[in-house]
Amino acid sequence: MLCLTTTRACRTVATAAVLLLGVGLVPPIASAAGVHGQATGTEAMTAGTWGVHAVSTSFTFTVSTDQTVTVTNTGTIALSAESYGVTISRPLIGAPTFKLFECTSAWSANKCAGGSGTQIGGTLHSNSTTTVSISTALAVSGSLYLQWEPTGVSVATTITLSPQVTSPTQLRAAVKTNQ
Amino acid sequence: MSKHRHTTKKERAYGKIAVAGLLTTSVGLLATAGVYAGLSATATGAESVTSGSLNLQLSPDVGAGFSNFTGAMAPGDTDNVYVTLKNTGTLASAAGMTLQVAGSPVNALTNGSIAGEGLSIAATECSVAWTLATGTCSGATTTVLATTTASTLATAQALSNIPALAAATGQAAHIQISLTLAGTETSTNGTPPASTIQGLSTTLTYTFTEQQRTGTVTNQ
Repeated sequence: MLCLTTTRACRTVATAAVLLLGVGLVPPIASAAGVHGQATGTEAMTAGTWGVHAVSTSFTFTVSTDQTVTVTNTGTIALSAESYGVTISRPLIGAPTFKLFECTSAWSANKCAGGSGTQIGGTLHSNSTTTVSISTALAVSGSLYLQWEPTGVSVATTITLSPQVTSPTQLRAAVKTNQ
Repeated sequence: MSKHRHTTKKERAYGKIAVAGLLTTSVGLLATAGVYAGLSATATGAESVTSGSLNLQLSPDVGAGFSNFTGAMAPGDTDNVYVTLKNTGTLASAAGMTLQVAGSPVNALTNGSIAGEGLSIAATECSVAWTLATGTCSGATTTVLATTTASTLATAQALSNIPALAAATGQAAHIQISLTLAGTETSTNGTPPASTIQGLSTTLTYTFTEQQRTGTVTNQ
């Protein structure tokens, strides 16, 4: 039905509707304006990432010859320390032992800048699982160079390496920013 | 003779009609005058009212104020921003205020699945402007919000010890907002755990709300 305002009934209904609408709307607007004031501000942030990645994580020894591996900080946060999970298999014959050394430059002829490097942990025995740590600062994208030095290997023995970084203890010192 | 008598009677009749008409008119006028006199017996007075306003203004106290944290935030890091809250309206605000922090995306760093992880916020008021270089207050400090997780602040929380902001005196509150990130996670061979806060981003919107002072009754 089309209700035009040409009839008195329609005009009355339309007028009443407008009045009711006005009465309903005005009080909430007035009260909301007088009750509180608001102010807003925004701040954006991104969390960093942390971790070191080893080029190779599995090493098999059949003779007592040193092997090296490079680990790199692939995160966006500099590190203050790193840990390495080490699992050494049980060989069929013998009880070989291993030592893990770290160097901040690439190994050359099994030497770290002419020296022996820094040992991580103690002597590691076959048929064992352990975690060793070292407090060496490592910048973002920086690398460390590890070397396995075995003793008494006569048959195949496998080492599995699992580099680990735990926050916040192994991350750079906390930063406080005032801006 | 009879013609003269007939004329006299006619004149008397007209006279009666005229008198009656005059009487009726008089009564009518008197009655109308009485009614008008009763309707106009009014008294008037005037009173003007102007409503006040309550406007909360947020501006940098020192430094840039609310701004983006550049770089990558590590667990344990703290980002301090300094803002001034000022009532620029004409009404004083009530003591107390609320703060709501909305994260976008809502679940990034604010309600991670690992307990204790995520962003936390604290607020401290200084009686004078903060010193940006050192992040210290040379006056008196008052804790207005103890360290609270951002997920809790998704619902507006009452701030403590925020004084009434008197518009008339331009009173301001100098606030330090401290944003910290907590997270204990171990990455293995460069790979974060399945549930992680690493590399996530979020934008936090802080909303301060002040309330109008208590209504007053004036007798004058």
